[in-house]
Amino acid sequence: MENENLLKLKNAALKEIEEANGVDSLNAVRNTYLSKKSELSSLTSQIGQLPPEERKSFGAALTEVRVAITSAIEEKMTYLKNKELKEKLEKEQIDISLPGTSYDVGGRNPFYVIRDEMIDIFLGMGFEVADGPEVEKDLYNFELLNIPKDHPARDMQDTFYINENELLRTHTSPVQARTMEAKKGAPIRIICPGKTYRRDDDDATHSHQFAQIEGLVIDKGINIGHLKATLELFAKKMFGEKREIRLRSSYFPFTEPSVEVDITCANCGGKGCNMCKGTGYIEILGAGMVHPNVLKMNGYDPEQYSGFAFGVGIERVAVLRYGIDDIRKIYQNDVRFLKQFKKMS
Amino acid sequence: MLVSLKNVNQYVSLEGLSPEEIAKKLTFAGVEVEEIRRLAGGTNLVIGEIKECVAHPNSDHLHVLQVNLGEKYGTTQIVCGAPNARTGLKVIVARVGAKLPEIEIKDGVIRGEASHGMCCSLLELGVDAKYLSDYQKAGIEELPADAPVGEENVLGYLGLDDVVLNLNVLANRPDLLSIFNVARELGALFERKVTLPKVETKEDFKTNLVVGSKTNRCTQFAGKEIKGIVTKPSPKWMSDYLMAMGVRSINNIVDIGNYVMLMTGQPLHMYDADKLAKAELYAQDDYEGDFVALDEKTYKIIKGDIVICCDNKPMCLGGVMGSLACAVDENTKNIYIEAASFDGASIRHTSNRLGLVSESSQRFVKGTNHFQSAFVLDYAAELINELCDAKENSNAVNYQSEKPNDERIKTSIKKINDRLGTEFSKEQIVNVLERLNFGLEFVNDNDFLVAVPQYRLDVTCDADLSEEVIRLLGLENVRSILPCLDTKVGMLTVRQKRLQNIRSFLLAQGLDECVTYSLVSKKRKDEFSLLNKEEHYVILNPLTDEREVFRTHILGSLLSVASYNVARQNKNLALFETSNMISKASRSEHLAIVLVGQDIRQGLLRKENYTFFHMKGLVEGLFTVLGIEPTRYRFDRFVDEGDELHPGKAASIVFQNKKIGVLGELHPNQIETFDLGKTNGVVLELNLEALLEAKVSETKMAQISRFPSVSRDLAFVLDANIAAGDITRAVKKVGGSYVVGCEVFDIYQGTGIAEGKKSMAISVTYRKDEGTLTEKEVNDAEEKIKFELSRNFKAEIRG
Repeated sequence: MENENLLKLKNAALKEIEEANGVDSLNAVRNTYLSKKSELSSLTSQIGQLPPEERKSFGAALTEVRVAITSAIEEKMTYLKNKELKEKLEKEQIDISLPGTSYDVGGRNPFYVIRDEMIDIFLGMGFEVADGPEVEKDLYNFELLNIPKDHPARDMQDTFYINENELLRTHTSPVQARTMEAKKGAPIRIICPGKTYRRDDDDATHSHQFAQIEGLVIDKGINIGHLKATLELFAKKMFGEKREIRLRSSYFPFTEPSVEVDITCANCGGKGCNMCKGTGYIEILGAGMVHPNVLKMNGYDPEQYSGFAFGVGIERVAVLRYGIDDIRKIYQNDVRFLKQFKKMS
Repeated sequence: MLVSLKNVNQYVSLEGLSPEEIAKKLTFAGVEVEEIRRLAGGTNLVIGEIKECVAHPNSDHLHVLQVNLGEKYGTTQIVCGAPNARTGLKVIVARVGAKLPEIEIKDGVIRGEASHGMCCSLLELGVDAKYLSDYQKAGIEELPADAPVGEENVLGYLGLDDVVLNLNVLANRPDLLSIFNVARELGALFERKVTLPKVETKEDFKTNLVVGSKTNRCTQFAGKEIKGIVTKPSPKWMSDYLMAMGVRSINNIVDIGNYVMLMTGQPLHMYDADKLAKAELYAQDDYEGDFVALDEKTYKIIKGDIVICCDNKPMCLGGVMGSLACAVDENTKNIYIEAASFDGASIRHTSNRLGLVSESSQRFVKGTNHFQSAFVLDYAAELINELCDAKENSNAVNYQSEKPNDERIKTSIKKINDRLGTEFSKEQIVNVLERLNFGLEFVNDNDFLVAVPQYRLDVTCDADLSEEVIRLLGLENVRSILPCLDTKVGMLTVRQKRLQNIRSFLLAQGLDECVTYSLVSKKRKDEFSLLNKEEHYVILNPLTDEREVFRTHILGSLLSVASYNVARQNKNLALFETSNMISKASRSEHLAIVLVGQDIRQGLLRKENYTFFHMKGLVEGLFTVLGIEPTRYRFDRFVDEGDELHPGKAASIVFQNKKIGVLGELHPNQIETFDLGKTNGVVLELNLEALLEAKVSETKMAQISRFPSVSRDLAFVLDANIAAGDITRAVKKVGGSYVVGCEVFDIYQGTGIAEGKKSMAISVTYRKDEGTLTEKEVNDAEEKIKFELSRNFKAEIRG
């Protein structure tokens, strides 16, 4: 009879658990069936009044009912909590189209993008980076580079003078002389990036301030082939593996022979277009074998040592690579311009 | 240098070569051709004669012409607007279908009258206006009465079938400022025979002329006297060639002077012999005084100018301009011709100073051949005899103080190849040098001596010879081989690397990197000179007063960049620049930062104004990246003497007991000065030298405590002017070794707090490295802190 009641109790409880539709109502069910005041608890407390032979089996039956109800409640509770959490989270939907918190980098003036990349290329070839003053002595800027006073080549580079002996350097080449002086006859492999100045009116293609990267290699047995290969490597790294270079004879007072270096036009690949004025090539830099007089004046024996030197205009490379139509944009620093150059390479 | 191909073709045959081929070869050999210009152009041209010219019935300025075009094309009707159209005139006719440089001729009807072609002016054939008279420009070209009607090679008839190359002659090749030498160059490049004019010396009498030089700036002075000249217009061939080479024809004698210079590279000067007081011409450089030149202007001559004097009076400013006193004019009968060599530097100074730069002065400046005067005078005399009907030529007199340099260059086949990285054979090298008229003498199979032609002023050493070889044989023959040098680690120096790290750090924080000009105006040179007031370098010859002084600080320029951007609606800015600053006293690397408006990195919903503390944080981050601990530097209050920074929101950065930087919010006046709008700004100028050179120790790992820490908050009220930094420093000091952190988390002034006071709340973190802290240990430490705060800072502890 008792067992029958128990079964009824159990079924009634399970039914109420089943019907409970919230954490609160389920807690109420738990209270009804499992609290100290519940029927189950009062039955448990009555075990002692049963005849000893029935106690055990009745106890076991009670336990079984309690376990069944408890686990059903727990199962339902988990289910209900998950359900409520789910409903809560679903209400928390955000507008994912709002902007992300910015971890953006700054824009790097293309001047620096090119400069830094060129430094990387030449560091990889074992070059050191040298440095020299922008207010320079006439001696280093001209005299020691085989450009004595009144040399007609001085007219090629209109100069800002401070006084008779000091000027704003017109090229990075004085660092050649300074490095030779410092290295005292030892082999040299340097580049020197830096600002330079010429008395030019600013327009789309001219700037009174611009920057160059000077390169100088002095060792035994250096020839034009070495210059050509070095610049070829540079051109491919800088402008792409498909680019080819060609050399043209030219003149600089501090190199002999001197060459202008052209690169196949990036726009047409060498076929000829408006950008390269139909030639298929674009001039990128000047170079040559260090003039024996320059070696001699700076303490190197031209019979033993030879070397090559080159000078690349940083803005010129930037203009070609990014299609910058006006060199002044580099110095205006409009942030809408700067922020276009964020890509890391 | 303009080169008429028709002209140069007289001396070296260019048959079978297109102007483009010639230009390409020259360009690759180091003589860049900047332009290939056809003197004139046009198809379907024919010479015609106007048979009838009547006024157009429907126009007040047009004519209706009947033009005879010869047998082949007959007579045709053309409507023409030229004022000089008239019956009997021989004209250039562009027939229907003609392509002229600017237009194409079509059959048409003009105001009701049919027109089958156009009568042309030379302008319409593309001739440069500078060679044409106003009369020529105003109407159609008037051909001579004997012009052959029906002739279709009109450009040939006009002498306009020429192509002109514009050579960019570089400073090393002044010899190419001579057509004869251009012919030699082309001969060498194309392996063609060069035939220069052979002239005979004609000597009818001995001249009384005495020439000489009293200065070493004139090393050679040759003269010749010619009698009985007649001035008149030059023949057409002469004026055509001159026009092609960019010179306007004046008269026969002036034209010969120009023509001989263009051909030989030697400028000439001609004196009216009858206007000279004595038959003497001396070069000197010690004359001082006024000089009335050919252009009727008076110039001041100073010591150092080369002057040609007669009877101690200046007759010519050597190489620059002659005097009016002895100028050749239409009545001149007898002349002295001068062919001299002047020092280029002197001519450069004189011509630049007086603003008299000419073809002639340019040649002296770049360098002339000092040893060809005999040839040049004979060549000039021959032309004068032919074109000016001269009667008698004198002998040439010559002063020469220097000997030709007959030193030969020692070199070898191997040396040339070594420099070039080539393997040219002896035959190839010999062939090239001989084509260029170098005299070779072999000492053995490898070594040889080279005699350089007088006109090649640029070839002085064996490196120059290697250049000659490669520019003729072609740089494409150079094999590209990377140099095999000792392996070296390519690395930046510590200094360079630190500078790069500083830039990388700032870029990573989202600041935009700028480059600005180093030259600033005198007016603005002291703007934001927050670090020092060193003497500036000033440019002696500035282009504008905007760029006159080398800056010693970046901030002024960077604020201008901010201003430029704000004017373009870029209102929120975080900019920086690193640059080398140079003053008379020092040279140092600087960093400047400008923050304007709001930090919008978290979007406009969570934007905040840039403040002093954004900048301070950047500086602290920078020191961290460089490995310089906070204990090694400090921020001191900075009060600006001027009105550049906000007096209450600025600090100097002190490192190694030296002020190396200043940061602060902009004074409202500066916001206005730089037109930054209704906004706020924060700036920094930092001299990086001490940081780039600072000793920085290697990082050593510190043990991380295994024991938990405890945080306790303290709130108190104290005088408003006590700095938070002093409180946190004191807390760390008195709290003992258990205190591992102290941070301010609230500051409040206002309602509930007495005037002149502020409430401050700090969070103190305690930890013991050897074990878990007990309640008592924390309490004891906290008591010490409270005691210190109330005793030394008069703080009233609130809890």
